[in-house]
Amino acid sequence: MHVNYWDEIKKDNLGRTGLLLITVLAVVALGAPLLAPYNPWEYVAPSLSPPSWGHPLGTNDVGQDIFSELLYGTRTTLLVSVTAAFFSTLISLVLGVVAGLRRGLPERLVLRLVDVMLVIPVFLVALLVAAYFQPGMTTLIVLFSLLLWPPGTRIIWNRVLSLKHQAHFTAARQFGAGTAYLVGRHLVPELYPLLAVNFIQVVRRAVFMEAGLAFLGVFDPAAKSWGLMLHYAREFIFTDAWQWWLLPPGLAVSLTIIAFALVGYSLEAALDPRMRRQTYADH
Amino acid sequence: MKKRLGDYVLAFLIILILNFILPRLMPGDPITAIYGDALVEMSPELEAHLLERYGLERSLPEQFYLYLLHFFQGDLGYSFYFHAPVSHVLAGALPWTLLLAGVALACSALLGIVWGAEAGSRRGSLFDRASLITALFLNGIPGFLVGILLLLFLGFYAGWFPLSGAASVHLDYTGWAWVQDILSHLFLPALTLTLVQLPRNFLLMRSSLLGVMEKPYVTTARCKGIKERLVRYRHALKGALPPVVTRLGMSVGLLFTGVLFVEVVFAYPGMGHLFFLALQYHDYPVVHGCLLVITVCVLMFNLLADLISIKLDPRLKEDAR
Repeated sequence: MHVNYWDEIKKDNLGRTGLLLITVLAVVALGAPLLAPYNPWEYVAPSLSPPSWGHPLGTNDVGQDIFSELLYGTRTTLLVSVTAAFFSTLISLVLGVVAGLRRGLPERLVLRLVDVMLVIPVFLVALLVAAYFQPGMTTLIVLFSLLLWPPGTRIIWNRVLSLKHQAHFTAARQFGAGTAYLVGRHLVPELYPLLAVNFIQVVRRAVFMEAGLAFLGVFDPAAKSWGLMLHYAREFIFTDAWQWWLLPPGLAVSLTIIAFALVGYSLEAALDPRMRRQTYADH
Repeated sequence: MKKRLGDYVLAFLIILILNFILPRLMPGDPITAIYGDALVEMSPELEAHLLERYGLERSLPEQFYLYLLHFFQGDLGYSFYFHAPVSHVLAGALPWTLLLAGVALACSALLGIVWGAEAGSRRGSLFDRASLITALFLNGIPGFLVGILLLLFLGFYAGWFPLSGAASVHLDYTGWAWVQDILSHLFLPALTLTLVQLPRNFLLMRSSLLGVMEKPYVTTARCKGIKERLVRYRHALKGALPPVVTRLGMSVGLLFTGVLFVEVVFAYPGMGHLFFLALQYHDYPVVHGCLLVITVCVLMFNLLADLISIKLDPRLKEDAR
């Protein structure tokens, strides 16, 4: 399976679109203070003004510039989802490798925990816990990391089981490699593509969960988040304001999720030999 | 099967323990944490009664025992916002949620299976690729956005459907008119939920069918000269369906998450809406009750899906043991 995944994604139209969108989002997130015309926490114009040259998306109910809010919202979304995806993937990696290598009790414990966690409705638990804490970004990151690791763990465990019987792995062991060396040098590099797919899936889910929690009003009310914008805009949907207040953050959430889904799909297609064969047959 | 049952029991216990431990972890008075800020003007008798009921002056294990005891007696506490026992409040909301979730599950499963089978069996065709891209995009749009947009366009601007609720409040319809009223209120929420679930089911069905279409028995059926449509729905479907049913069952958690958002958007008086209201008014006994009942629903749907897939594919029986 020595494929240049990066090339595969770039060759694929869907993957390319996704990468482009993610790049744009990342640039907006990093450059928000430079790109935003106003400070989104300040009163800058009469509340509920419709769009104008000075305020491309108008102002919200407390007179803050919606366009600037939208740009700053990118930061919250990406920061929460990417960090949570990193930690949750890390948990999946550690537990998956431990379960795959240490058969017996550790494996049984991990798998059982995964099975149990998989039947629990994750979002509702997040909502319950979040309801008690009125969370900010840190709480959400911790919460998502702790809730989103089970599917990845199962996949990594499965892969480790088949990897550890491969010839190069056995050979390295015969030459006297220790477990730490084997894992770091031979096992984890082989898992990179899977980890990437898992990372992207978790980002997608975390973006959805962050937006969903904020939409329900369970988020630090002072933060700038797309979901929170939707939450406040919802009271005004039967006025024209939905066009510039509700639709932009809604589309931003959707595009972010779609961007990661596209890259994820194209990466998975590159990984799955059955699907690869088809793409070659197409050309 | 025994192992699966064990998983369900454990999952349920985890939710129970979370519900038990969270209010007690909060700083300050546990009664306020359990009952929220609703109890500002609490009389001393009420406070004494609550202390007694939750055994808050005893040790944690004893409190947990009391908690379980009450739970299995069907006593989930008293809602101060609704002025009724939590179990009554929940019983009023549950049927609406089951109706909405059931209709959406059936529609999205059926449509997803047919769509997936049609696209998957013509792999690489224009229809297949267009479907795939549509599904990938549709899958990214959060349910609440779909709901709000449908509400705005079909409900508010076009005026075809009522904007909220599950039935007209001040009109006493009977017979056929009542059914029509219920259905017209159900339409938009059910449509939203179906649209949200559909792409996932399509993708599941399509990829499952792709695997089956290459199997020798499908080729054999084709070689025998059986019509393509029959090969697709009689032969290939039989092999492709069991994993889809299992995955459908596993995604019931997502279905209920979707129900929550849809009910909030349409103010549909089910469990999700109740959960949201209770959360806003810090009516924690109702919040916990909702979560418990939804979890039980999710676990039961999961179990049902497990049983159905064993029925569809008897080979699974040996794995499940």
